[in-house]
Amino acid sequence: MSDFPWLSVLVAVPAVGALLVGLVPRRRGVLAKALGLAVSLLTLGLTIVVALLYRAGEGQFRLTEQYGWVERFGLYWSLGVDGVALALIALTAVVTPVVLVGGWDEAEPTGRSGKGFVFLVLVLEAMTLGAFAATDVLAFYILFEAMLVPMYLLIGSYGGPRRSYAAVKFLLYNLLGGLVMLAAVIGLYVQSATLRPDGGTFLLSELVGLPLSPQAQYWIFAGFMVAFAIKAPLWPFHSWLPDAAGEATPSTAAFLSGVMDKVGTFGMIHLCLPLFPQAARDLAPVIVTLAVVSILYGALVAIGQSDMIRLVAYASISHFGFIVLGIFALTSQGGAGATLYMVNHGLSTVALFLVVGFLVTRRGSRAIADFGGVQRPAPVLAGVLLVVALATLSLPGLATFVSEFLVLVGTFTRYPVAAVFAVLGIVLAAVYMLWMYQRVMTGPVRPTTEGMRDMRGREALALAPLLALLLVLGLYPKPLLDVINEGVAPTLSQVGVADPEPVQPATAEGASG
Amino acid sequence: MTALTRQVTEIQSPTIEYGLLAPMLVVFGAAVLGVLVEAFLPRRVRYPVQVVLSLGALAVALGMVVTLADRVEVAAEGSVAIDGPTLFIQGTVLALSLLSVLLFAERRVDPGGDAFASAASSLPGSEDERTLTAQRVQQTEVYPLVMFSIGGMLLFPASNDLLTMFVALEVLSFPLYLLCGMARRRRLLSQEAAVKYFLLGSFSSAFFIYGVALLYGYAGSVRLSDIDRAVSEQVGSEGLLLAGVALLTVGLLFKIAAVPFHAWTPDVYQGAPTPVTGFMAACTKIAAFGALLRVLYVGLGGLRLDWQPLLWAIAILTMVVGAVVALTQSDVKRMLAYSSIAHAGFVLTGMVVVEPAGISSVLFYLAAYGFATVGAFAVVSLVRDAGGEATHLSRWAGLAKRSPLVAGVFTLFLLAFAGIPLTSGFVGKLVVFLAAWQGGAWPLVLVAVLASAVAAFFYVRVIVLMYFSEPAPEGPTVAVPSPLTAAAIGLGALVTVGLGVAPAPLLTLAEQAAVFVR
Amino acid sequence: MQAYVPIIALAALAAGFAVFSIVAGALSGPKRYNRAKLESYECGIEPTPQAVGGGRFPVKYYLTAMLFIIFDIEIIFLYPWAVRFDSLGVFGLVEMVLFILTVFVAYAYVWRRGGLEWD
Repeated sequence: MSDFPWLSVLVAVPAVGALLVGLVPRRRGVLAKALGLAVSLLTLGLTIVVALLYRAGEGQFRLTEQYGWVERFGLYWSLGVDGVALALIALTAVVTPVVLVGGWDEAEPTGRSGKGFVFLVLVLEAMTLGAFAATDVLAFYILFEAMLVPMYLLIGSYGGPRRSYAAVKFLLYNLLGGLVMLAAVIGLYVQSATLRPDGGTFLLSELVGLPLSPQAQYWIFAGFMVAFAIKAPLWPFHSWLPDAAGEATPSTAAFLSGVMDKVGTFGMIHLCLPLFPQAARDLAPVIVTLAVVSILYGALVAIGQSDMIRLVAYASISHFGFIVLGIFALTSQGGAGATLYMVNHGLSTVALFLVVGFLVTRRGSRAIADFGGVQRPAPVLAGVLLVVALATLSLPGLATFVSEFLVLVGTFTRYPVAAVFAVLGIVLAAVYMLWMYQRVMTGPVRPTTEGMRDMRGREALALAPLLALLLVLGLYPKPLLDVINEGVAPTLSQVGVADPEPVQPATAEGASG
Repeated sequence: MTALTRQVTEIQSPTIEYGLLAPMLVVFGAAVLGVLVEAFLPRRVRYPVQVVLSLGALAVALGMVVTLADRVEVAAEGSVAIDGPTLFIQGTVLALSLLSVLLFAERRVDPGGDAFASAASSLPGSEDERTLTAQRVQQTEVYPLVMFSIGGMLLFPASNDLLTMFVALEVLSFPLYLLCGMARRRRLLSQEAAVKYFLLGSFSSAFFIYGVALLYGYAGSVRLSDIDRAVSEQVGSEGLLLAGVALLTVGLLFKIAAVPFHAWTPDVYQGAPTPVTGFMAACTKIAAFGALLRVLYVGLGGLRLDWQPLLWAIAILTMVVGAVVALTQSDVKRMLAYSSIAHAGFVLTGMVVVEPAGISSVLFYLAAYGFATVGAFAVVSLVRDAGGEATHLSRWAGLAKRSPLVAGVFTLFLLAFAGIPLTSGFVGKLVVFLAAWQGGAWPLVLVAVLASAVAAFFYVRVIVLMYFSEPAPEGPTVAVPSPLTAAAIGLGALVTVGLGVAPAPLLTLAEQAAVFVR
Repeated sequence: MQAYVPIIALAALAAGFAVFSIVAGALSGPKRYNRAKLESYECGIEPTPQAVGGGRFPVKYYLTAMLFIIFDIEIIFLYPWAVRFDSLGVFGLVEMVLFILTVFVAYAYVWRRGGLEWD
């Protein structure tokens, strides 16, 4: 049973599902959607199997499989999961059905069939799962780049009035990053060819621990980081996200920032740290600074937004800052917290995009000023928004609190100044989230919001699992955290850093943050 | 001076290895037969006979190339080299020619018939022309012409001496000059393209032959291996050699449309009938790259320290100018023309390093690029309005709503040009950049990466236009093609995806082919 | 670098000659405009006859010229073959027959397409 290629099957199921959806006649939109949902649930079931098998296995990477793809330059369809990858695979598998349910009739106003939407989401799911599971740098790169196309079509086909501008901006930003990364990938290969007796390779297992010169590490690390920082997105490479998320439909935006952008932060922890330990150590202060700027910048701009979706997008930029901060703090709490943060942010941001999307669909406007007193006609919707908003600002008891706390603790031991500034981000998060809630939900009922429908069955169905997970992971994060720690610990040892002694809060190193 | 003494000895009757030359002989034979068909068969049966004859000959020649695989020999007294690069390029050119001839034979998309003028000699807009069109007269001379051209393209990369190469260059060029001027629609533009191509092509041929003369003066022979020996022994005047090399490469770089010898490309690609444009953009370029490879690697390998810097500069210029100028284009054929210029730059990047990896990457890139190019031009020939093909980009707005399939296939080709993973274009770029970087040309790779990003912009712009713009009220229609064009597009798309997902077999083939006979 | 000096010198000479010719001609030449100056070829003989339709020569001239070239080229190849007939033997004979046949294909094409009819 252990030889069964579970991970390949996990990637293949949504891919084949997408093809089947593609074969459904255009008129049978409902059938396509139902089929897509069934496929995504099947993927979720497979993910549970994979998780159980992972628990039963041993080693850093488990469930490994490897098939030659283009062996002559070391390209392999090589898969394997560690704790970090497993957590993100689970996130993807959970979010995809939610997005499909949440975006059930989103395609209708554009006059297109829902079929295309389901098809593209499933293709994206397959590529994202593949990227998380890939242990060959080139295979990762191929999926990392290829997933731009379906997302581009999703934004451009189903979004708002300026969707084509947003889609092009999204694609060009990410393509530029991707091409820079391609150069870095090639550079890495050429380096490996000169350093290894048996020629160049793209296999992660072979590349980790390669004695690259510091010079080479800096340049190649920079090439990878540009791509990941654009994808994540990190200030100052962020400007595509508010446009893309703002113009895409809520469910597309949810998938984009909830799952797909995680590939960027995943790449940082999964590739940048173990491949270029010295560069990661030396350049960490720079990246930590950028992360803190992201946290504060995203939060401050979010406060100033008058458009709900853009507000959520800027909030995401702030949160991605936290994730990057945790990763480059290079401490075990920071790394574990950042990975947990990826999962939690995925859950909370998808929920937030969907709830806000439901509101926007009802009112036909994204401006916060067009709402007011919605809690009177739609109390359940208001309650859900409140819970999700609290999750976004990391209220203790909800999952996001654990991760944010870990990130801050992990950062503080190494970069106290950065941690202090990052804490400001939490305060600002409270401001933008609660203020938005207040302006939208409380106050007198406006004529325009009067009689607004409350949450419907389908919408509740989409959000219920997310809320449940946010609550469960908030109260009992241990199982997930254990898995994540298993993944983070070897990575940090590859970087060659130990956690700073907690009894010495003011080391010289700490002051440099 | 062995070459001089050889001249005064008694002339021996040469030995010709007909087996090795068979693919070329078949194609040339079919071309000659095609002329006879034109002369003696009644007009009504010429079309089916010509199409079957051309396709059959190409298929037979392709089969012969396949059976010749692994042969590394010189033929015809050393003037033709049959080796890996030759056979790989001949195979690619033949396969792409098959697709192109399918497009030539398309007669369903244009209400007037095929893509060619009823009689190239009738004055545009004249009474003659109207009569001929009304009688639905369709010429079939294009088939022998294109066969002659293909024959030249088969010989061009195989030429092992510069005179044979020159003859091949002329044989492939002359029919193309004619074919360019034969468009059924917008004939003045087409004729202008033909004249321009002819004039500039003649100049470049003159450069080429002048270069050959100087090199002969230097080495006392036009045989590439003799020139190589002369270079390594450093006989003769180096000025003669360098001037000869410069002039010779100008002639070759003209054919691959490298900057600064590219100025003809957009006008000619735009004016020529679209099937001819596709044929030129794919096959001519591939054959010319084959010849350039042979000249630089076999004949002038010893001189690489002199030509490498030059080629670096030309590669950078070609990539940058091609990508940047393409941004401003508003005609889809012109855009594809500049895109083909940029691609020439990418190929040159792989060529700069004188290593087998460079050769095999170039071979793979050419094949990948060729199929996408023929497919893309085939799609262009389908989007039409009352005036013929609707090539202005604004006319393509909202095409995906009218014909999702055609827009989807064109998107695939554009993504391949842009080098998105899981298409052939990505693998091509990857192998070329890998080879270049391994050869130490990493600054070139960085420029190429940035040029790719710029190039992606204009490919994406077309996709945006097709998918996200509202269709114009009186927009063009998408003609339903006959199975011929459909087959060409389908095969192009299939190869583009196939080479993107499973490139290993062709890569292996290209790697095995990367050995020149000397 | 040494080796490039002749090339640069040649390029400079070529450019210099072109510039010199034009400038010198413009400066030193007498400028007397009259009718003869405006004629084509400027050789004193009126270019006649004017082609019908303004400036176009009938394509027949070119056709005839090219037909001549077909046979001209053929002769160029036949002559050396005839001189070395013995040493080339059967091979030469066969190749020559093939060559002549190919040339006759072109001839047949021209004949069938009416290229030999003047009117």
